[in-house]
Amino acid sequence: MIRLENIWKTYEMGDQKLHALREINEEIRTGEHIALIGPSGSGKSTLLNIIGCLDQPSQGSYSFDDTEIAHRTPQELADIRLHELGFIFQAFHLVPRLTALENVTLPMLFAGIPKAERLERAKSVLASIGLEPWFDHRPAELSGGQKQRVAIARATVMNPRVLLADEPTGNLDSDSGAQVLELLNERNRQGITLITVTHDPNVARQAHRVLVLRDGSIVRHIEGTHLQSLSELFTGFDSMDSPSD
Amino acid sequence: MLGSDVLQFSATALLQHRRRTLLSLTGVVIGVTAVIFLTGLAEGARRYVFDQFSSLGSNIIIVIPGKTETSGAMPGVGSAPNDLTLNDTLALQRELTGVRTVIPVAAGNDTISFGERRRQVVVLGTTHEFLKARDLTLAHGSFLPKAAMDRGSQVIVIGDTVSRELFLGQDPVGQVLRMGGRRMRVIGVMAKEGERMGQDIDDMVFAPVSTVMQLFNRSTLFRIMVEQHAYTDQEYTKARIISVLRERHGDEEDVTLITQDAVLDSLGGILRALSLGLAGIGAISIAVAGIGIMNVMLVSVSERRAEVGLLKAMGATRRQILAIFLAEAAMLSTAGGVIGLGFGWLLLQILRIIYPVLPAATPLWAVVSVIALAVCTGPLFGVIPAWRASRLDPVLALQRK
Ligand SMILES: Nc1ncnc2c1ncn2[C@@H]1O[C@H](COP(=O)(O)OP(=O)(O)OP(=O)(O)O)[C@@H](O)[C@H]1O
Ligand SMILES: [Mg+2]
Repeated sequence: MIRLENIWKTYEMGDQKLHALREINEEIRTGEHIALIGPSGSGKSTLLNIIGCLDQPSQGSYSFDDTEIAHRTPQELADIRLHELGFIFQAFHLVPRLTALENVTLPMLFAGIPKAERLERAKSVLASIGLEPWFDHRPAELSGGQKQRVAIARATVMNPRVLLADEPTGNLDSDSGAQVLELLNERNRQGITLITVTHDPNVARQAHRVLVLRDGSIVRHIEGTHLQSLSELFTGFDSMDSPSD
Repeated sequence: MLGSDVLQFSATALLQHRRRTLLSLTGVVIGVTAVIFLTGLAEGARRYVFDQFSSLGSNIIIVIPGKTETSGAMPGVGSAPNDLTLNDTLALQRELTGVRTVIPVAAGNDTISFGERRRQVVVLGTTHEFLKARDLTLAHGSFLPKAAMDRGSQVIVIGDTVSRELFLGQDPVGQVLRMGGRRMRVIGVMAKEGERMGQDIDDMVFAPVSTVMQLFNRSTLFRIMVEQHAYTDQEYTKARIISVLRERHGDEEDVTLITQDAVLDSLGGILRALSLGLAGIGAISIAVAGIGIMNVMLVSVSERRAEVGLLKAMGATRRQILAIFLAEAAMLSTAGGVIGLGFGWLLLQILRIIYPVLPAATPLWAVVSVIALAVCTGPLFGVIPAWRASRLDPVLALQRK
């Protein structure tokens, strides 16, 4: 469903060129759970944003459902994001002045769904993940785990086919992290393709496949039984991670 | 995205920063208040003047001595080589056709007294016809008697204020008061009239024209009023008046004719220009207020970069983002307009209490155009911030700094 061919992303910094992604060739099938790992600055978010049609590659071809994404109008890309994709961020990005329920209704606003239906759908999604008591609470009144669950509800309320999560557990303690992870896995089991960027070996281990990025290139594919030995890889990263992140 | 949803979403953003929202409104509020109040004031002045001069009646031509160069201007400017006399009045009566009546008016100031009480009043010397020509009403008694102009009897008709001040509720009709050493018998009391053409009718007294001329030892008139029939062409009558008087005054055109239409035309023009000028100043101030809205919107857009990025990630189109921010700007300026409308109205009510004679009311064109201007100001000045928001790169907007 997702095919990346010779994808490059290059930033021009003055007269220097920074290759955030180099020659990415990858195929992701419907229903897969992919984890993107790698040291900070290796290009994980850049790749995720390109897959999510938020960003455009400098070079190469990306096809989603066998249609080329390059040369699409901003309008068409927005439409794909609205109907096919759902984003989850490390920083949650809930709109602070809106209640949990209102935050979940937002994407449906852009789809022009009438108010009554918006509320009904948002309520049922939130209720299905046990957030019924928090409908009318604003993000400031929610715990980190609750915020991320609201964000997942928001990302899934339009019934997307792909969920893109950039370090979804990065700001959470291990208990709520596990809860959020279980929620994402459950969506994946229901058939939604899940692509997760993570620094957490426990998160990565639950994926079907792990792509290891370094300096903008995919340097390893890990799957099957090899997933058990992931922890060593991460110990390797830690020395390379910039602590500022 | 539905229009009502855009408005609702934008409203939540405005309500989050109440103080900033209010501050950004003030410019528009002040501008709109100013336009509503000032044009209301100017309109009040216009109506006041119209009321005053409309009471002249459109069939009346006033002849005043002296030639003023600009037609329709206020009288009293220029030298008068020949005064108007009773004989002029008689000549006009004789010569003019299509005219109902020609009325002489003499005027002066004097003190009248009744017993111990005295009062300084304006004395008008005129004829029986004056009452009807000027559309005045009598409270009781009778007005000046029908008599030849040069026959002056010692009778007087007094205004409402004069009556109350001198007679303290007693019936004045039949009483005798003193004026300039003469004994004058009161034959009538005017109904309360208030001001007409800048003069307080209630504080006047009326006596036969020749009596008043003798009293002030004068041979000249203050003015002559010609009342023509409604079917007579006013220009024709004016030309005839001029030619009759020119013949009598040694071939010199030395009078000025005043008609209601001419006065209203020129005064109306001045006052219209005034209210347009005031409205223009107000409009400029509203436009300046638009810059305030633009600033606030720019701040709001940069504060909400992450939100805009998020909306885009969720699938909002550029056009939807643009609509959201334009709606915000429109709501700001519209709210300012509505509040300004309320304030302006309130100020006018206060003005009406303080100056009840001034019928201050904002003309509809001013209300409509100022509200339209306010409503448009927001989106107009909000375009740049909204455009910026719609063009934000979602990746950069969502990146933590
Ligand atoms: N807008 C930009 N302009 C210039 N360079 C950028 C920009 N965005 C990203 N980069 C660079 O591209 C590289 C990849 O960035 P990216 O955010 O994809 O890394 P990452 O793997 O997600 O890192 P982290 O784990 O810290 O989130 C980095 O070197 C980064 O500095
Ligand atoms: Mg990243």
